[in-house]
Amino acid sequence: MLRFIMRRILVTIPMVLIVVTLTWGLIRLAPGNFYSGEKKLPPAVEKNLREKYGLNQPWYVQYYRLMRNVVQLDFGTSLKYEGQSVNSILVRTVPVSAILGLLAYLLALTVGLIAGVLAALKQNSKIDYASMALAMLGISLPSFVLGPLLVLIFSLTLYWLPPARWNGFPSWNLLLPVLTLSAIYMAYIARLTRSGMLEVLRSDYIRTARAKGLKELDVILRHALRGGLLPVVSFTGPALALLVTGTVVVERIFALPGLGNYFINANLNRDEPLIIGIVAFTSIVILLFNLLVDIAYAYIDPRIRY
Amino acid sequence: MRNRRTLPPESEEPALTPLGTTPTPPVRTRTGDIIHTAPEFAIGEADVRSAELHQTTLKGTSLWRDAWRRLLKNRLAVFGLIVVCLILVASLAGPYVISHTTGYSYDFIPKDSKLVKSFAPFIAPDGSFSWTHPMGTDNAGRDILARVLIGGRISLMVGIISTFVSLLIGISYGATSGYLGGRADNLMMRIVDVLYSLPYMMIIIVLLAMFGGRSPLGQLVLLFIALGAVSWLTMARIVRGQVMSLKNQEFVLAARATGVSTSRIIFRHLVPNTLGPVIVYATLTIPSVMLQEAFLSFLGLGVQAPLASWGSLAADGIQNIAIFPWQLIFPGVTMALTLFSLNFLGDGLRDALDPQMRKV
Amino acid sequence: MDLHASRWVQIACVLLTLALVAASCTTRANDSQFFGLVKPPAENVLRYISGDEPESLDPQVSSGQPEARIYMAIFAGLVEYGPKTDAPIPELAEHWEVNNDNTEFTFHLRPNLHWSNGDPLTAQDFVYSFRRALSPALASRSAYLAYYIKYAEGYNSGAMFVRDPQSGAFVLARDVELEAQTKAAETQSPSAPVDQKQLAEHPELAKGETTELDTPFHHFMHEPDRLVVSGDEAERAKAAATNPKLKAALAGKELVPVKAEDIGVEAPDEQTVRISLAQPAPFFVGLLAHQLFRPVPRQAIERFGAAWTQPQNMICSGAFKLEQWKPYNVIVVGRNPQYWDASNVNLDKIYFYPTNEATTMMNMYKAGEVDATYNHTVPPAWLDRIRPLKDYMNAPEMATEYYQINITKPPMNDVRVRKAFNMAIDKQALSDFRKVTKPLYAFMPEGIFPGYAKVPGDGFDPAKARKLLAEAGYRDASGNYDPTKFPINQVELSYNPSESNRAVAEFVQAQWKQNLKLTVPLKAIEWKTFLDTRSRLEYKGFSRAGWIGDYADPFTFLALFYTPKGDNGTGWWDPKYVKMLDDANHQLDPQKRYALLAQAESYMLDAQPVIPLLTNATNLMKKPYVKGMYPNPQTLHAWKFVYIERDPAKWDYGVPDMSAE
Repeated sequence: MLRFIMRRILVTIPMVLIVVTLTWGLIRLAPGNFYSGEKKLPPAVEKNLREKYGLNQPWYVQYYRLMRNVVQLDFGTSLKYEGQSVNSILVRTVPVSAILGLLAYLLALTVGLIAGVLAALKQNSKIDYASMALAMLGISLPSFVLGPLLVLIFSLTLYWLPPARWNGFPSWNLLLPVLTLSAIYMAYIARLTRSGMLEVLRSDYIRTARAKGLKELDVILRHALRGGLLPVVSFTGPALALLVTGTVVVERIFALPGLGNYFINANLNRDEPLIIGIVAFTSIVILLFNLLVDIAYAYIDPRIRY
Repeated sequence: MRNRRTLPPESEEPALTPLGTTPTPPVRTRTGDIIHTAPEFAIGEADVRSAELHQTTLKGTSLWRDAWRRLLKNRLAVFGLIVVCLILVASLAGPYVISHTTGYSYDFIPKDSKLVKSFAPFIAPDGSFSWTHPMGTDNAGRDILARVLIGGRISLMVGIISTFVSLLIGISYGATSGYLGGRADNLMMRIVDVLYSLPYMMIIIVLLAMFGGRSPLGQLVLLFIALGAVSWLTMARIVRGQVMSLKNQEFVLAARATGVSTSRIIFRHLVPNTLGPVIVYATLTIPSVMLQEAFLSFLGLGVQAPLASWGSLAADGIQNIAIFPWQLIFPGVTMALTLFSLNFLGDGLRDALDPQMRKV
Repeated sequence: MDLHASRWVQIACVLLTLALVAASCTTRANDSQFFGLVKPPAENVLRYISGDEPESLDPQVSSGQPEARIYMAIFAGLVEYGPKTDAPIPELAEHWEVNNDNTEFTFHLRPNLHWSNGDPLTAQDFVYSFRRALSPALASRSAYLAYYIKYAEGYNSGAMFVRDPQSGAFVLARDVELEAQTKAAETQSPSAPVDQKQLAEHPELAKGETTELDTPFHHFMHEPDRLVVSGDEAERAKAAATNPKLKAALAGKELVPVKAEDIGVEAPDEQTVRISLAQPAPFFVGLLAHQLFRPVPRQAIERFGAAWTQPQNMICSGAFKLEQWKPYNVIVVGRNPQYWDASNVNLDKIYFYPTNEATTMMNMYKAGEVDATYNHTVPPAWLDRIRPLKDYMNAPEMATEYYQINITKPPMNDVRVRKAFNMAIDKQALSDFRKVTKPLYAFMPEGIFPGYAKVPGDGFDPAKARKLLAEAGYRDASGNYDPTKFPINQVELSYNPSESNRAVAEFVQAQWKQNLKLTVPLKAIEWKTFLDTRSRLEYKGFSRAGWIGDYADPFTFLALFYTPKGDNGTGWWDPKYVKMLDDANHQLDPQKRYALLAQAESYMLDAQPVIPLLTNATNLMKKPYVKGMYPNPQTLHAWKFVYIERDPAKWDYGVPDMSAE
């Protein structure tokens, strides 16, 4: 197992380089420039800008420079936000997105698991239908609808909670964005848990465990839940990675200084260093979370080996 | 043939492992084609063969017909099916009907400036009751019912086709990766990781720059590619996880021992057993794809105005929620109703296809 | 299975609907004369939504309006945008003189100016800042605004003077002018009052009151223009190939780079800044309020490099100094005690919140968390409700919205077709639909430049539009207009995605459908891709454009088509138009100049490379207790005049009086 983990961590390095290379190629193919605007710049100004950022050099020089910087984990300075290094932007924004994402996922996991397990245990009961109907509501209410709705009710009608802005952690400002963000994940987890549990509950080993006279709670928590969790765990890897690396819609609705907003803007602005920096970070997070998921598989279901 | 006693070292602590607590061999003999006739576990090729033979001779109990029969017994699923069909028919025929009865089409903006504003449902410009706009009008005075119906075409098509694409790729990719394991699995999953990490927006911007703007049809195909391209990734991971957990079970080992080909094991024996989470995840994919379409229109990839989709209608509606709530409520409720129905249908389908249910 | 589930579904749906309706009703019932909470902040501060996250806090680097709003707090210029009209008012410069052909401006600084760290702020700081703004290494995106300054363009583009190695004499621009060009140049500036030769001999002729400040540099500025050639060899060769005189002039000569010291800015003494221009620019003082021309702290820049804009390193010159900068979150500025007019600054702090989400900022405004917003922040659909309120600010803006036409591709290469499409839009209806705007028939925004005669432009006339199209060849056998003959697949209306662009495009599409029976497909294109297709003239038909003036003069709009051939996104370019503008700028009498500019505008509209749509309006929210803030044409507020009024009797009920400065 240890060797497996080591191997996977080592493989991260070439993976990030591949991702960065592909991204770099994509940016090159995309039309438009970081400096283009409503009024076309005079050629002299354009030339100065290209020279300043080394865009006049041949592509292999630029590529070499990029790779050298990435290996040193130095992504240079943003083109759009002049004078700000990509690393400083990451250091500033990642905590915001991470706090938001982790809190939302924690909430989603807690509520989703309980709802899913209850629904599965009492299949076709009122609890089942209620929690699944709520889950469906969570799924069909996109965050760009749910967020403003919550604001409308809690901030603008009742004047209870602030409607937007980041105010550090912990603060009341976090409540609405976390709720908004977690709704859909809650719903996913509840439904996936329910279906996974239903599958496992009917399997023979559970029947056997019950037959052996184990306590019902024991059966559920120690045996059934593990098997039932498998789809949730598969889903958690990518979901958590995406949550932690920023969620544009919620960040925009609540004017939060997270990574997601920067990333979208970096793409729209063709801000090459910033795109590459965020993509490299994202790929590390994704690889890491998927590694954790694979480890979790082995723990949950010993039949899975690597 | 390996049996459960030669389990991997990690699983030797019995209390922790589901299998360890199982005194009898597992009976997950749920491959679609052998269930009905075979006894609790299939041991040899001969059994499988005879099972298949047996099944084909049994009149009218093919997997699908059987499932259909069970689906019809599920009232919620039938409800879902009916609603989905109704909405489908309404969005296909509705726009014609409306433009021939009230004269309003989804893109008709009245010439009279006084009519170019958002009227509440059933309210005529003079404030009296009127049947003309049962869902009201939007800011440009366009009939919301007509827009919801035309939007249904787009959203349903986008949701169903993209989900189908994601199912197709996700299942085959994930199952293959999970079953093969080892190096192949490692490689295949790292490719998925890379695809996760790439800047999706940039890909779409480049795709559009290279292939966009040729024709409306091409634009639509591009949309499906763009939506399908991401949604299969999580699906593949889920299927892989399930398959990894299933592949060492006896029914697979049995099949392998009897020389069933790898692809047959994957697609006939393993995949049907992963359908539970897959169907659930697929029904979850539909709304997310529908909403993503609204986001893509921001990049110029979605449907082009004045055409609408439910996602774009909801996105517009939310802007005016405090003043003209009907702009959000009607597209929103229509979409929610559709999604609920699709989910009931999905749940019913899953139950109907799940062989274990037949024992219950 | 039973029916419970569907009942749950029903209940859920009903609940959702109820929640929405309840929420909307309660907010609607809350009717007062203002939008949301009206409670002045506890402290003496202003909380302002400033638009997009600033790209930088270096005034010479970022050129946008969102940044300008912040720079106006922390950096003072020679002049400042006036609070009501945006016309320049004295700031660090107490007064100034202009020579009689609008090519030389002498500014006299106030005595005892200081940076926020206590260092004296002198004329040298301006010279440093202007040179930095134009330096190729800084690569400022708005450097072109300073190209009016003599040799500025040469320095910024890395160009060369040409010098005879033997005599040391520089080749002059007039030496290589071809006959035709010389003649054109002569007729071009018939009104130039002072002959260049005369000036060289008697520089005092052009100097007004500042004769006592004679310097060698000043003499250099009044020598005949030196020849400036491209720094790029290939480009030089290309130019020489078409001009034998230039070829001869270059032979055997050495090239001397145009240096920072050559540009037309000097500090004859500590308190005087003198700027010499390459061409007459009567609007130049107004342009100097732009952030590019605000002095930057040399000491901090040389010490910290790009990090000088961080709060701990920043040295400011404005009424406020930077205290905090949390990107995408907040920028806090506080009182600057070193500011020359510190005793007249009213606010203790300003909080700038950078966001561009209309709903989010309206929510914050309604919840009483911000006191005012920047321009175009009220969504049009909300206006029916918000327009009657007393804290809604609407006033004409120095900004227009129009469609550019790609005149290089058929069928739009026919002026009749372009005119037809223009006449087929009911712009009054469009402006009614957009609610905050005025219809635009000509190219100049209405009601912004007093004294500028309005060019009528073509009005809404669908019958004539159809007639024009018939004349252009789209007619049936009997000569009537036939829409089926029109190659509609060659025309599109492309725009960059935004809710308002889409709404306008949908409306215009419906107009053309009704009036011309033509359905022009709409095409949303992501912003940078859109810019690319537009500047390469790859789009078919129409593309959306808008322009916010850089300075308070009609020339900022007309100059959009002054550019080199076709560089304006339409493909239309006419040397006659360029000459008309030049003539106007040589005109000394402002009234006559405006008349000439209007003629040029009318000439351009005759060719109809654009379809004017709307004059924008400021359309913003301001709490009644915020005083001294006016919805001026650029929504740029001189912050030192802004204050919080706690006595409701003195609040602004409606748009404050903007008549006198």
